[in-house]
Amino acid sequence: MQLSFAPVKGTSRSYKILVGVLAALVTAGVTAYAIAYLYGFRLWGINNSVTWGQLITVDFFFIGLSAGSLVVSSLVYVLGQERYKPIGRIAVFMGLLLMMGAMLTVLTDLGRAEKCFRLFLYFYLSNMKSMFAVNGIFYAGYILLLGTYLVAALSGSKLTKFIAPVAVLWAVLVHMGTGAIVGFIETRGVMYSPLKPVEFISAAFASGLALVMALSYVTLKFSKRPLNKDMYVSLGKFLAVLIIILMVLVLADKLTHFYPPKRDAVMFLIAGPWAWIFWLQVVLGYFIPLGILFNPWLRKKVGWIIAACVICVIGILFERAAIIFPGLSQPLPYYPGEIAGIWGARGSFPIMIAETLQTVGIVALLGLLYVLGLKFMELLPASEGEHAQGEPAEQAAPAAEGGHT
Amino acid sequence: MANWGMVIDLDKCVGCQACSLACKAENNVPHGSPYEQKRHQDIYWHKVIAATEGEYPSVNTQIIPMPCMHCEHPPCVNVCPSKATFKRGDGIVIQNFRRCLGCRYCIVACPYGARNFNFKDQENEEYQRPDLPPDLASEWGGLKFGAEIGPWPYPHRTRGVVEKCTYCFHRIDEALLRIENGEDIEIGVDVVPACVEACPTEARYFGDLDDPNSGVSKLLASRTYIKLREEMATSPKTIYLPR
Amino acid sequence: MSQAATDKPNSPEPKRSNGFQISRRAFLGVSAAAAAVLTVVLALKRPKLAEPVETQTTKAIDTQELIPTSCLNCPTRCAIRVRKVQTLAGETKVVRIFGNPNSAYTEGKCCSRSHVGLQVLYNPDRFQTKPLVRKPDTTKGRGVDFVNDFEESEWADAIQLIADRLTAASPDRLLILEGLNTTSNEDLIRQFALAYGTPNLFVEDGLETDADREGKMLADGRSNSWYELMSEDETESTKYILSFSAGIVESERPLARNLHLWGELRREVPNRVKVVSFDPRYSVTACRADEWLPINPGTEGALAMAIAQVIIGEGLYDSDFINNHTDGFSNYKTLAMIQSFSPDSVSQISGVDADTIRRIAREFAQSKPAIAWSGEAATSWPYGTFASHAIYCLNALVGSIDVPGGIVYQQYPPYAAMPTDGLAISDTGISFRKMADLLRDGAIDTAIGFQSNLIMSVPESREGGKWDEILKNLFYVHVGPAKSEMAAYADVILPACTYLEDWGYESAIPGSGYAEARIKQPVVEPFNESRPTARILFDLANATALAAFSPVLSTPEEFPSAFAQYRTAPFVGWADFQSAGVWEGPGYTYQKYDFATTSGKFEFHSDQLERLLNVKLPGEGTDYPLELTIYRPVLEIRSGSQNFPWAQEVYLVMHGRGWKNLVEINRETAHEYGIGEGDEVIVESVFGGIEGEARVLEGMRPGVVAIATGQGHFASGRFADGMGANPNDVIGTEYDEESGQPSFFSTRVSIRKA
Repeated sequence: MQLSFAPVKGTSRSYKILVGVLAALVTAGVTAYAIAYLYGFRLWGINNSVTWGQLITVDFFFIGLSAGSLVVSSLVYVLGQERYKPIGRIAVFMGLLLMMGAMLTVLTDLGRAEKCFRLFLYFYLSNMKSMFAVNGIFYAGYILLLGTYLVAALSGSKLTKFIAPVAVLWAVLVHMGTGAIVGFIETRGVMYSPLKPVEFISAAFASGLALVMALSYVTLKFSKRPLNKDMYVSLGKFLAVLIIILMVLVLADKLTHFYPPKRDAVMFLIAGPWAWIFWLQVVLGYFIPLGILFNPWLRKKVGWIIAACVICVIGILFERAAIIFPGLSQPLPYYPGEIAGIWGARGSFPIMIAETLQTVGIVALLGLLYVLGLKFMELLPASEGEHAQGEPAEQAAPAAEGGHT
Repeated sequence: MANWGMVIDLDKCVGCQACSLACKAENNVPHGSPYEQKRHQDIYWHKVIAATEGEYPSVNTQIIPMPCMHCEHPPCVNVCPSKATFKRGDGIVIQNFRRCLGCRYCIVACPYGARNFNFKDQENEEYQRPDLPPDLASEWGGLKFGAEIGPWPYPHRTRGVVEKCTYCFHRIDEALLRIENGEDIEIGVDVVPACVEACPTEARYFGDLDDPNSGVSKLLASRTYIKLREEMATSPKTIYLPR
Repeated sequence: MSQAATDKPNSPEPKRSNGFQISRRAFLGVSAAAAAVLTVVLALKRPKLAEPVETQTTKAIDTQELIPTSCLNCPTRCAIRVRKVQTLAGETKVVRIFGNPNSAYTEGKCCSRSHVGLQVLYNPDRFQTKPLVRKPDTTKGRGVDFVNDFEESEWADAIQLIADRLTAASPDRLLILEGLNTTSNEDLIRQFALAYGTPNLFVEDGLETDADREGKMLADGRSNSWYELMSEDETESTKYILSFSAGIVESERPLARNLHLWGELRREVPNRVKVVSFDPRYSVTACRADEWLPINPGTEGALAMAIAQVIIGEGLYDSDFINNHTDGFSNYKTLAMIQSFSPDSVSQISGVDADTIRRIAREFAQSKPAIAWSGEAATSWPYGTFASHAIYCLNALVGSIDVPGGIVYQQYPPYAAMPTDGLAISDTGISFRKMADLLRDGAIDTAIGFQSNLIMSVPESREGGKWDEILKNLFYVHVGPAKSEMAAYADVILPACTYLEDWGYESAIPGSGYAEARIKQPVVEPFNESRPTARILFDLANATALAAFSPVLSTPEEFPSAFAQYRTAPFVGWADFQSAGVWEGPGYTYQKYDFATTSGKFEFHSDQLERLLNVKLPGEGTDYPLELTIYRPVLEIRSGSQNFPWAQEVYLVMHGRGWKNLVEINRETAHEYGIGEGDEVIVESVFGGIEGEARVLEGMRPGVVAIATGQGHFASGRFADGMGANPNDVIGTEYDEESGQPSFFSTRVSIRKA
């Protein structure tokens, strides 16, 4: 069946206010970064213990979301599932935007950002033992791939058939690589685990899918485009499965670390000063969404499904935070016994304005690009009664075209 | 080629911290402030920790000076994306500040908390050290060992890069130059890192771990020795002789 | 590419077919351009194999020197060498401090404090102007404004101002406060006091040492005894150290020597020294010792008597020494054997198990040479002199007096004569009690302080307290290099140079036996308008028309070096002294036994020793149930200033904290008062209260509160002011009766959460 896509007009008052607000936040973020870049990162919450903060948390989060949003697109472009087509393009676009946002966070997190080219330029000449450098190669390829994927999707090209599976597999590689960044570090007990790469991609799928569902729903609703409720109900079931897989992985990981006597890391995580992050991850990321998605009445109501999606996304954000903050905050056991003073203290992480404004600014930038993309690109399914410019509505496309839109 | 290591006798150490202060003076390491200490944003190339076990009155505190361990298998070298930190041929783990991106992955990976990030620029005039120009370090040792060292953090150390103890490689490199020019000096005896030199109880030793006749090798043969966090299998070359 | 076919003839041709608002051509064009730019950038920035290293200059240093001089961050005055560099650009900078291998006293070592010398020299809170004279109607003490409260004055005018005041008044109305000065400046200060005619010279070092010295002097009549630890030829070393609350590796002088010999005695000699530490707190020394025996504060003297009882009772004393070289032993023996001094009784008051006391006593007596070392915490009590005496007598009991590895009597360099005239002042001047009485009675008009740190070091130091009042009402001249609390009370500030810019000589303090002299010579010329203290004294003496002041003819500018040269001339050539930095005296002769007592022998004074039982235990007395004990961490710079960030940031090594001091209490005590680690607490006595951060420890006797000194500054500069608290603020004035030293440790406190 022919499905046509049309941009939003972008002339309404609420649209302009939204753009304005996002632009203001972006400006604030840019200013905050400029000041932090010039004055040094003492303005941030990071320190020599918790040396990665809000930006790296959001970086991991966004890479995951990007990889996960390709799940939806893979359903459309790989598995050819027609009923998800209305949100297929949004998914690819979100994937690209989130990845760009992730790159922006990690590059602005560097102490010497002007040398960022090293991560991408030197490719295999960088230290290939470092997961950071390896990921640099993955990310560069991934962005190029996503760009191509988006162009192909928007122009309805046949190439999506080939690009999509490559993109999805590359997305898996990308986010497993991200997981390896933390998973391979033995020093930090909370981070160290062979399951981390798999856990990351699993969390990515769940959160990415949830975000695509939630954001597409909100977008379609506000732009008054056709909304297929059954699509969301079936995606909701898919999400529930993904969350269960993720939960099993997390459980396996934590149980493995809990079993032997050397369990101080996992105890620090689940019962230490940062335990609230872990429990918010579990409750918001797994329990509440599953509670909704398995409830026989609620799981049929789109409103509740979308609520579950939003809560799941927030929970997965806490999952990323649970790796960074407790992971880095746990004091290093240089020697048995209680190490006095600053050397044995757990790392603290205050919320600082410069860092927060910058993080918010980057998120706002993605929002701004998304909102502008809706206006300048044909991402959304055309509404009934409205059609791609010049096209009559409900005109069946010749079957020869294959209906690739 | 030598394999430099350090031996610290915990039986002699009295926690006076002459080592920490001499390191600050020798390497022009900036001091912090109460706020920066609270925030843990101050820089220490060398620290002295006190680890306590036991209940009153059977208290046992171990005072342990910790420079960089200069591991045989340094986790920081593994994770540095731009090869800004690397192990020299003679075993010293060292930084090239030109390459450092400030990504701080090495701080995440170091099991000994030896690395510090520069959270700000230091006021110029306080840390102006005209006797430590960049080339004094790199001209000899850097090219000799086949890797560029690049500019030092002094005389103008910059924000946004990571630094740590270097086993006073500038002294070693200068000594190697003097030895090549015919001077009869021995590294480990006449030339040692600043912390080793400053220790009033003479609790610290430096030398070639691969030379069975060096002072450090003989010490390690005569006493029980321990390495910190041995389960990490980093094979640190800063080795301790317990009480 | 989807192009929906239309058979509606009037529909316009769909413009967009690729989802963008731009044409495909434009898109490809932009992409191609971007690819081209990227290629160019890649080509330019491609990694090259042999990137040249950035260099600034091939050699920045023009000259460098290692200048021998000596340290003055504590009374030990170690010989050091200071590295100064001069760059091609003409810049001079002092960059490192090392020990001087020519000094046998420390075998070329220096302690952690010596490195802080660089920050003493480059202290940003040094006086940078000419002398400052206080304007009328300005506030002294806390709240001082060194910029606006003072007017800059020419040196000559300021000196004249003081001289006029001195000539107008009767000499005995002048009080001289002597903080930590070079030996040469100490000699000149004493000479000034003598020449001017005032007996009122107060040596601030006595605040912590007078009682200890008095106790020892009771026995041997000498003030130059100390613990040798190792003989000069290294053939004999101490085998047993019994520390009575002595911070041997933290604060006891001569610190660098103690540290160096600690390493030797523990690891380098065939018979490792055994160290036993009686101490209410698990100090660094107790931590490094073989045994820590927690005791109730103030019970050191009683413990010493219990140990004496065991040694005498079991016949383990050195009868040869006792019979031939001592006096009063039978009375002492009778007293030592009383029931109250039995290990069982003393165990009750001290908290040390009676069997342990017996074992330690036996070990002590049977490990020759053994020394009993009395710390400041043992002797700063109303009976402090006798605690010191009782502990010192243990050394005599086991025959450690004037033997290798035992107690030796320090020799001093044979300096050239000083003109002496009028009153004789003892090396230690007047006692603290005498000074306090003089000030209370209004007998003093003017005070001059040389590197004085009085207000931080005396009890009742708090704002509005006794000393605050006294200093506010006193005309005070402060001679010192940097902003300080005493300078805050000054009417005239004369900026002196630091020890790295000064001329002079230092005598090795008791410890080695053999004499050692060390030079002080400027590493750099005095900064800004500062002048050597010697020059200031010279000018003041001239302006006051003191006849018998200087032993050398000299111009004011030359006087500091001329004086040092004159005084050291009898034993060392000036050029040699300048290049070596150190002069070593002849080897020490042991067993001279030339005691300066009435009997000519080592005297056991037992008549007052029973006062050692007058201890107040923690818990007794309801309102203030805890005992406050103060201690000096190694990084307390003894010149009085703490404005040195390197020392500040790692101040307390046992607690891993800096930039402040902590209120240290035992875990049980903390629990009793509902205090947790890190809580803000108030420590109060009848004299006042201070606030601090609680540190809950296992390593503390229950009922004891320990606070490190050296913090609580309010006028020393940006790296010290407002940090921590000064425990002297809550300590009241009680005196050790014999010496007049303040009894710092007898103030009881309460503690509660803030």
